[in-house]
Amino acid sequence: MDREGITAEQEIVGYLDAAGPVHDDLRRILTQVSGFSMMLFTSDKRRLLPADLIHDAARDQAQTAERIRALRVPERAGHHHHHLTLAADAVAQSCAAAIACGKPGATDGDRDALVAALKSAVGQLRILATLLPGFEPVAFGQACCALHARAATG
Amino acid sequence: MTDYSIWVLEYAAVEQFPFSVMMYGPMHQGTRKLPYGYVLLKGRGETILIDTGYDHVAYGRTLAEAYGVSNYHGPREVLAECGVAPEDVTSVFVTHAHFDHMGAIDHFPNAKFFLQKRELDQWVWALTLGPEFRFLVGGGDPADIVKAVEAAKEGRMTLIEGDAEDVLPGIDVSLAADTHTYGSMYVTVRNDGSPNSADKWIFAGDLIYTYDNLTGLDPEDPQIVPIGLAVGSQHNLMFASEAMLKSVGGEARRVIPVHEDRLKDTFPSRLTDRGLQVVEIALADGETSRVS
Repeated sequence: MDREGITAEQEIVGYLDAAGPVHDDLRRILTQVSGFSMMLFTSDKRRLLPADLIHDAARDQAQTAERIRALRVPERAGHHHHHLTLAADAVAQSCAAAIACGKPGATDGDRDALVAALKSAVGQLRILATLLPGFEPVAFGQACCALHARAATG
Repeated sequence: MTDYSIWVLEYAAVEQFPFSVMMYGPMHQGTRKLPYGYVLLKGRGETILIDTGYDHVAYGRTLAEAYGVSNYHGPREVLAECGVAPEDVTSVFVTHAHFDHMGAIDHFPNAKFFLQKRELDQWVWALTLGPEFRFLVGGGDPADIVKAVEAAKEGRMTLIEGDAEDVLPGIDVSLAADTHTYGSMYVTVRNDGSPNSADKWIFAGDLIYTYDNLTGLDPEDPQIVPIGLAVGSQHNLMFASEAMLKSVGGEARRVIPVHEDRLKDTFPSRLTDRGLQVVEIALADGETSRVS
């Protein structure tokens, strides 16, 4: 591999190293918002819901979006970064929709918007998983069956 | 009288799974086949699943290539072995929120779902702890929670708080808190409908992986040996195991571990054309056997 090739490879590796934790954070925030949303839709005691949680998630999302904007993006990772940005946008919309749904007088339209935003975020995470290695939707390395299956087959 | 027909349906498998994971302690003792499965119950006007399997579209290829999971088949093909379509399923008990147990919620558009509230609450809490605690939420997929949110919006998701009797006729659930997961539950089917049933079956989720968890490896000196993976504790797993055993009068075969390959030898069974086991635990009055 020539010098140019090595540099391009290093740039991609650098992007993967930096984008991985950001992706993990997005996935974590999405799960939090989803969990909160489920509590919203199943609880008859909304005043007991942990409202701080959703506001904390929105704040974390904003910080994560900043980190995505700050990433150094090599040309080959441009498409991935585009979808990472879209995923962050969808998570932001999910946070906003969840906050709206938690307010008195929330409508079916608000609830539909929340589910649509969550599904959009999931869709973007799925796309990310197909573009570069290391962006799987499940942390299989921490999962019961798969973790050890790798040990068996690897 | 037998109320429910009950089948354990294999939908995929890991052919060589380290035994040391299935039991806490015994290392370097070779491998066993680890089937992935769910439970189908038919009776009393209901078609019920215990767990749903996972979403092959999302990560089937990853599981196959990196982790040795083979022979996946979707719910439509698997349930057809018992004459059931996914649309026929009326209720689903989700024993815990791991991807291989609740990853296919969206395949059952007419079902209502039952999950422990604690499973959700503690999962969301664990996510606030930061990435260094990610072990506590391993095996979870945000997409699964989103599917559950959609079911909840449609009024098809019930979060159960603790133990509950007769969630459906003759079917109870029990919380096993802080065991394999924070809010794992096991499902008890009283198959004669009696409150003090002499025909109980318990579906253990991942509280046990094998009968050996209930009996140990030495028939002369039985003991409870927990599975190797808990976000709670092995202590709690052992007491949950004891509670399940006690509930069926100590008859270990009535506590069903869906990941146990020996179910096929313990009960009448059939290998399908696709190489999947159908295990018949019980047959309701008037129902046709699916294994003979």
